[in-house]
Amino acid sequence: MTATDATIQRSVLVAALCVAGVVVSASAAPPVGEPVNFVACPIARDTGPDTDVCFFAEYEGERYALRNPTDWGNPQLLHRVLVEARVADGAPVCGATPLDARISILPEVDAACDTIIPFDGAVRGTPGGIFNRGTAEQRAAARELARRAAAEPALSLVPVMPESSYPSPVPPFTTETLTVYYPFGSDRATDADMLELLRLTEIANAIPARVEVTGYRGASRLSNGNTLSERSEMARQRAQKIVAILHGLGVDPNQIEVDWVSTAGGNSGQDDWRSRRIELRVIPLPVND
Amino acid sequence: MIGIVKTALLLLAATLALTAVAQTSREAESWWSPGDSRVLPAVVEYDNAFGKLRVLNAAGAIRAGEHAFFAPLGENGRACVTCHQPSDAMGLSVETINRRWRETAGTDPLFAAIDGSDCPNLPQQEAASHSLLLERGLFRIPLPWPPRSSEGSVIDPEFTIEVVSDPAGCNTDPVYGLHSENPTISVYRRPRPVANLKYITELSHGVSPHEYFYPNDKSLLPKDPDTGAFVAHRLMSDGREPTLKTQAVSAAIGHLESKRPTDEQLAEIVAFESQIYAAQSFHNVAGPLTVAGTPPVLGPEALRDGAPARLGNNPINRIFGSFAMWAGSTPVEQASTAAGPPLEVQQSVARGADIFYLRRFMIRDVGDYNDKGLGNPFNRSCGSGCHNMQLIGMDLAPGYMDLGLNSLPWANNRPDLPLFKVECHADAKPQSYLGRIIYTHDPGRALITGKCIDVGATLTQQMRGLAARAPYFANGSAANLRELVDFYDRRFNIGYTEIEKQDLVNFLSTL
Repeated sequence: MTATDATIQRSVLVAALCVAGVVVSASAAPPVGEPVNFVACPIARDTGPDTDVCFFAEYEGERYALRNPTDWGNPQLLHRVLVEARVADGAPVCGATPLDARISILPEVDAACDTIIPFDGAVRGTPGGIFNRGTAEQRAAARELARRAAAEPALSLVPVMPESSYPSPVPPFTTETLTVYYPFGSDRATDADMLELLRLTEIANAIPARVEVTGYRGASRLSNGNTLSERSEMARQRAQKIVAILHGLGVDPNQIEVDWVSTAGGNSGQDDWRSRRIELRVIPLPVND
Repeated sequence: MIGIVKTALLLLAATLALTAVAQTSREAESWWSPGDSRVLPAVVEYDNAFGKLRVLNAAGAIRAGEHAFFAPLGENGRACVTCHQPSDAMGLSVETINRRWRETAGTDPLFAAIDGSDCPNLPQQEAASHSLLLERGLFRIPLPWPPRSSEGSVIDPEFTIEVVSDPAGCNTDPVYGLHSENPTISVYRRPRPVANLKYITELSHGVSPHEYFYPNDKSLLPKDPDTGAFVAHRLMSDGREPTLKTQAVSAAIGHLESKRPTDEQLAEIVAFESQIYAAQSFHNVAGPLTVAGTPPVLGPEALRDGAPARLGNNPINRIFGSFAMWAGSTPVEQASTAAGPPLEVQQSVARGADIFYLRRFMIRDVGDYNDKGLGNPFNRSCGSGCHNMQLIGMDLAPGYMDLGLNSLPWANNRPDLPLFKVECHADAKPQSYLGRIIYTHDPGRALITGKCIDVGATLTQQMRGLAARAPYFANGSAANLRELVDFYDRRFNIGYTEIEKQDLVNFLSTL
């Protein structure tokens, strides 16, 4: 081996290491708090016979867990997802980097998004039965009920789950606001949002009040520089759905002022999901004696 | 070896049940003709293939005669009871339909041209003109196209529809078809049982976010046009009528070719329908179902006394409660019951209940279901997934969903049904798993809403009195309980074993 050969070989080795370094660097998760916005196929992972599947997606060599806030909607195979997120702290979720994320399902069918990883023991879910959730007292009560039902089978038909409820508003009433955020292209709100809407509706029905509803649509800047914009009518669609619910719950149409902003907000790459929303205000009116 | 013996025993149970069909001729009076002046007792039992069905007339015996449910109201001589026979759990089995054809040479009002034949333009005296009714128990449901709202205004649909094949000829007929003066789409569906309706009409308890909402998309439920109260919206497979009263009006005008019934008649119909319960009470192999020591859910009395519209997917309130008393398997227990019903079959029923409650599988690509927040796939059992209402096993939601019965590629091969091509407009949200071009035998709820996302969706059904009212599914795709189980096994790639399938059939036959 000549000196030149050695130099060349060393150079190749260094170049290879550099390339490898780039790859390693690219595959390392961004730091906690860093925005990560992309579109990808969700991948489902079977986490055991008595649990739901979990989902993750791959982007630039990294696996990211796809987990939404409660009732925001789970990922779906046969559809790509829009991920608007920041890298979160904590242990891996679904075998992937955790995100503080808002996951939206894109509407068109994509047959390429159809991967389920069979259960391999690497990621195990936690069964979600009533014996495994709630406080220790609630779990103990559930076990006691189960014991009684085993001894007296007729009890197995006596409902044990509580009625749904929401906190009734308590006067005196002041101006109250509600902001409802939506997945991309969707007018589906969460249970928690609707419970709060029910509470505000009670106020609007209880006192002279004006209700203002404004709908917004959004655009989402991806990490690769591309932008996804919602259909122009989404702002109107969201506002009108809320107004229809208010009407249905007894709010006089004359009390309601509805508006929508057709220009798409967001498009900054920083929590752009906040641009897709409705804002609602219940404003008590002075009472003339 | 034990497995072979077990299989043989279970097969024997199924064979005995089927043999009983041939040996048990139904009594002639099991059929209720319109205007029949007999008394419907407070409690009455009818034989069926698996044993006996008990009908509980909770308000007490009534004389049928002029009662609005039993009286012919319109031109074709039909009454409500024509298609909702007590012997068939207030539905109508294909076996009963065929017997009625034989007994009346096809002249019974049941076979009225309007919807008891494949199309009114066919020669009505020929059995072939009633093939869908005679072979699958299907009535023609003519629906306007484009759809109309409940107020009668035209809904602008999100899709176009064309007829790809039309074996009955009604959808391409110049008088009755899609391009007629009154554009109409004919689909073919089973009558739903008019029993146990307090479970179906009561608003949901304990659901999120609240009983006034569809849990799936968080819009409000429809309202009763008379009272303004929210309705549960679980009555019809496509949800086109919100209340028992509006359904009765629609059925009278459509199926009975009547004018609008009087308010008194409607009240009588609704009152009767609201208090009648039906469930299996005796199983040919498992024995009496409502005696001490049997599962508490069995028989109509449990339905009369039960709490309606509750979610039954928790470990204490399984949908149909406990079957544990039939799960014993020790030799001592077997010996102690030697003189009673075969323990083997009771154990099979108990295992079937557990499979229904607990055996999870990947529920996926179900339009109007997986796409409503649950995710695709969703790993659930039959009971905790879609048939989750306590005591009747309907979806509490209410669950309109495209299980795959109506549309390709999942639907059973059905060359007897019309096939439509649905093409969603570019600006519409497509059907979630079938996309923008869908081939379907029945667009289902989309024929009412005009929405692409609803194509193929129909409402889940209650599961009581199954033994008395085959075939199953809204389009009669499953001729018997085994075919029903086989459909799910194939559709969701569950992989039930042969014994598990038999256990499920035995379980379902006791409900």
